[in-house]
Amino acid sequence: MKRFIAVACATLLSMAAPAMADEWAPDGPIELQIGFGAGGETDTLGRVIASTIEEQTGWSVVPQNKPGGGGIAMFTGLMNQDADGSVIGMGVSMPVLINLTLRGDQLPFDLDSFDYLGTVTRAQLAIIAQADAPFDDIASLVEYSKEQGGVPVAFDAKPQELMLMALNEQTGAGFKLVSTKSSAEMVQFVLGGQVDAAFNAGTHIQYLQKGDVKMLASANADRHSYAPDVPTLQEQGYDLYTDPYFYFAAPQGLDDHAKAGLAKALDDAIKSDNVQNVVRNAMQNSTNNLGPDGTKKMMEDGLKSVGDLFN
Amino acid sequence: MLDFSVILAGFADAFTPLNLMFVVFGVMLGQFVGAMPGIGPVMAMAIAIPFTFVIDPLPAIAFLVGINKGGLVGGAVPAILINTPGTPDAAATAMDGHPLAQQGKPEKATKMALYSSVTGDTFSDIVLVTISAPLALVALKMGPVEILALMVFAFSVIAGLVGKSISKGIIAAALGMLAATVGLDPEHATPRYYFGYFELFDGLSLAAVAIGMLAVAEILRRFASSKKGSAAAIPPQKDMAAADRRVSFAEYWACRFTMLRGAAIGTILGALPGVGSTAAAFMSYAATKKSSKDPESFGKGNLQGIAAAESANSAVMGANLIPLLTLGIPGSVGAALIISAFVIHGIQPGPLLFEEQGRLVYGLFGAMIMANIANLFVGQLGLRLWSFVIRAPESVIFSTAILLCIAGVYLATGGLFGVIIMLMAAALGYVMTSFGFSPVIFIIAFFLGGRFEIALSQSLVLLDGNVLALINYPIALALFAIALITMVWMIWTDRRKDA
Repeated sequence: MKRFIAVACATLLSMAAPAMADEWAPDGPIELQIGFGAGGETDTLGRVIASTIEEQTGWSVVPQNKPGGGGIAMFTGLMNQDADGSVIGMGVSMPVLINLTLRGDQLPFDLDSFDYLGTVTRAQLAIIAQADAPFDDIASLVEYSKEQGGVPVAFDAKPQELMLMALNEQTGAGFKLVSTKSSAEMVQFVLGGQVDAAFNAGTHIQYLQKGDVKMLASANADRHSYAPDVPTLQEQGYDLYTDPYFYFAAPQGLDDHAKAGLAKALDDAIKSDNVQNVVRNAMQNSTNNLGPDGTKKMMEDGLKSVGDLFN
Repeated sequence: MLDFSVILAGFADAFTPLNLMFVVFGVMLGQFVGAMPGIGPVMAMAIAIPFTFVIDPLPAIAFLVGINKGGLVGGAVPAILINTPGTPDAAATAMDGHPLAQQGKPEKATKMALYSSVTGDTFSDIVLVTISAPLALVALKMGPVEILALMVFAFSVIAGLVGKSISKGIIAAALGMLAATVGLDPEHATPRYYFGYFELFDGLSLAAVAIGMLAVAEILRRFASSKKGSAAAIPPQKDMAAADRRVSFAEYWACRFTMLRGAAIGTILGALPGVGSTAAAFMSYAATKKSSKDPESFGKGNLQGIAAAESANSAVMGANLIPLLTLGIPGSVGAALIISAFVIHGIQPGPLLFEEQGRLVYGLFGAMIMANIANLFVGQLGLRLWSFVIRAPESVIFSTAILLCIAGVYLATGGLFGVIIMLMAAALGYVMTSFGFSPVIFIIAFFLGGRFEIALSQSLVLLDGNVLALINYPIALALFAIALITMVWMIWTDRRKDA
């Protein structure tokens, strides 16, 4: 079967583009390991990119879900795979960086265990509240919380929890930290009045347009494309931010030829209308490929800034 | 309010031969994979989504809805015929379905499941089409404290299923709860019981545990007890009366209140994200058994038992779309997959969906109605096929089933790790059953345990750990009170029965 696929791919390749003769091509199918379960944002992005690469290059790219620990299980397996470009992984930067910070000594890998290939986009994280809430930014939310003796605020990931804890420490706001499982659940809690404010990574945008919720701050390093008037936490005087990227990596030791070939295939796919549309639809965002070197730098800088959050 | 012409245009879009074809194909696929122990419609949907890239949004979504709905019917088939439910909610169907099949009436049992499944499904679809918007607003008011109270209430009703030994029931439930605590804790993400395996950070996979404990354990039992491998899984009965092969209208009509109650329970729980069809199926089953004049006949092939379980778990599916379409909040994995299909086709589910895509939404409703009808007809033909298939020798049926379980769990969990968990769960299930502990109770506690813990930790934060603060949550207080009354009432009636 493997041989058949290999032959089929070779045939397809030779038909596709004789001009690409000097470019790298895989010996067989590429396995794209997705560090999350089927049906989520990461899975959707990964599958669309895989099918786009197949379309554009004629290679065979097989997506495989390897969920567990926010990508830790997948990367643990990935580091032991052959570094010949036949297996690559897709994950999200934040959970990996958090785990490296919290229990790096227990993890079998570190940042140098991988060669980085690129990023798809950055998740945009906002802090939201009901539209008629008696506050419009973080400072007035803090004041309101103090008056009320501490209001509940929802989060769904460790960096968000740490940011809230830092805010409590810096301002004495006394936020009560409500842990949730998703952006959707947080929007539900805000609309239902169970919490006074919450983080959100996209579900809120329609509600923002409809006028049910308002945005108090961007929790990224920059403002968001759909809400250019809302300042970041940093602009509001709190030195806190998080920048989770969806990124691709391969086991360390990939030769330069293969690395360049894979990075180019990914970049071409990410530039395609197909992927752009899905990123726009799924997260009201535009694609942002940092490339191999930029991705590596993003991970290294990220590890430092996560370290700072914990101190 | 939506323009009536939009509604009509939406339905007109739906009722085209092309969409009908996709719906029927989806239903056939759904019924088929639903009947494969270990595979199931959720996985079929996940695999099918990339194939829908190339077709228009409405047929694509109609196809997925068809798979999902077909799977509701198909899931009952292995539960009834060979007692190997692939999902926890089908375990409720097996409780009466399998005994009936063993009595030589497999066709009657599966047909009852089909009719009550379609009935419950249709009921929740009507609720979805007519009053989803106000219902979603009510559901919004159900915060963590109310959900916690609702789960306590669900536990109190389901506790009626514990069986003869209350202590064994409690032990099984406690073990299930313990298994649910594996993984990162929901509040501070501290790893628990992970033994160095990062695969366990997200907890034990529900698919692996449920299939292992419910299906694989049963298959092992059958292997262990089979004397000669050539016997049929269910002995065919040649001179069977026609009445034993079908469900008469009188029999269906006798279950009308049971199905109505099941459909109502399923619709209410389905409208609340995260509680799910397992709780609905077992609550409906337990309520039916408790209110029956003849509770002793349950578990021995009572049609009411099948009707209760199937009407409730199927009603959840339509109702799951209520928070999905009105708020963009998926109530289940199946609903989450439908969201990703929407998103891939450039449609963002949420509060603006009805305004911006009203025509498509009513097209979707049209497709759901078609899928219900298709379910009935495809089911009629499909069930004949299955009752033919199980005349094959036991050795063939069960070795095929175990292969499917392994393949299904491998796919669902992304590797061999899940298969190992499945085998461990199977061994535990085998031992538990052998010593009279109910694996079904274990699974219910395991399934609801994770959600229960989240609701509990959220509630503790919201209440500041102060029980008196509950006074601000009247709905939750009422639910806690009903739970208490239910428990007292059940102990009271049990005492009287024993006396």
